[in-house]
Amino acid sequence: MLVGAFACAHTPQLLARPGTEDRDLVLRVHAAFARVKRRLEALRADAIAIVAGDHVEAFFLDSVPALAVYVGAECAGTFGHYRYRFPIHEPLARAIVEQGVERGFDLCYTQSAPLDYAFYVPLHFTMPEPALPIVPLHVNVYLPPQPTPRRCFEWGAALGAIVRARSERVVLMCSGGMSHFPGTDRYASPEFEYDRRLLDTLREGRGRELAAVTGEELDKMGNIELRTWAVVLGAVGDAKADVYCYEPSWHHGNAVVEWAL
Amino acid sequence: MSAAEPLHYRFPPASAYRLNRCLFALKSDDDFRARFLQDARAAMRELGLGDDDAAAVLRGDRDTLLARGAHPYLVFMADLRLRMAREPVTFEYF
Repeated sequence: MLVGAFACAHTPQLLARPGTEDRDLVLRVHAAFARVKRRLEALRADAIAIVAGDHVEAFFLDSVPALAVYVGAECAGTFGHYRYRFPIHEPLARAIVEQGVERGFDLCYTQSAPLDYAFYVPLHFTMPEPALPIVPLHVNVYLPPQPTPRRCFEWGAALGAIVRARSERVVLMCSGGMSHFPGTDRYASPEFEYDRRLLDTLREGRGRELAAVTGEELDKMGNIELRTWAVVLGAVGDAKADVYCYEPSWHHGNAVVEWAL
Repeated sequence: MSAAEPLHYRFPPASAYRLNRCLFALKSDDDFRARFLQDARAAMRELGLGDDDAAAVLRGDRDTLLARGAHPYLVFMADLRLRMAREPVTFEYF
């Protein structure tokens, strides 16, 4: 069963705040994360399938999968003094990779890749109590050529069908975005208006329009990570988004969203 | 569907593999970063970096690194991790 669908920002400054970041803004994003956590508890979810874009942490240039599924017993990642370890919902992870391949998606799988902060920053703040097992789902967002937004959307549609046929109560969460340009001369000038327009289309249940956007446009708008949103949009179809927050910092559009299923 | 070269995050050319490997190690490998801070040239020799790449990493100039094929995100995070190691930044941890 698919019981919930969310999108969460994951910028690491939300976890460890340097003096450059507005404290009140960070706390407002945390408050939105806290709402997600309460929703996950209310939804009585059994597992979180989290779709995130690797920041060249799990996969370097030795091997760059477009779409990957983590199918180990547990996964782990570190960031500064933070140490994370999450149990994997193995039956669900296996079903996703096996049925995904059956449905024509040539998925990569891994049983050991390190977990990127794109996964654990949202989970740090939204993991319900007691904690749930997860299934990390990778989308290549940083190393061109990335999968097209349309392909991500189609993978999400398949993922949604796979999850809906399961007996577990599964929440889909995408991690990433919105506009930001790390490592470029655009770092301090994201495309906040693009974000706001996109959020308006999502509020109206027109998320499938993201599938028609080109990769070139996402790159231009600092939104290469929205490929992870395209996956969840493929799964939720025309559901309308409830935007918990949109908080533009000096370098990043932080959004937290729930889709009404 | 356009096949135009992306503006910001471009295909990392094979000629820059070692350079990107070094930036990746500075970002994600605490032991390598410690060795680099001790003796940068020796650490870069471990990874077989050429003289021009090594000079670009030592200068830390983003435009030069990008022109040599470095991935912008790796340049950004390698630089951040080195700065954090050299002059510990004060963070509020949540």
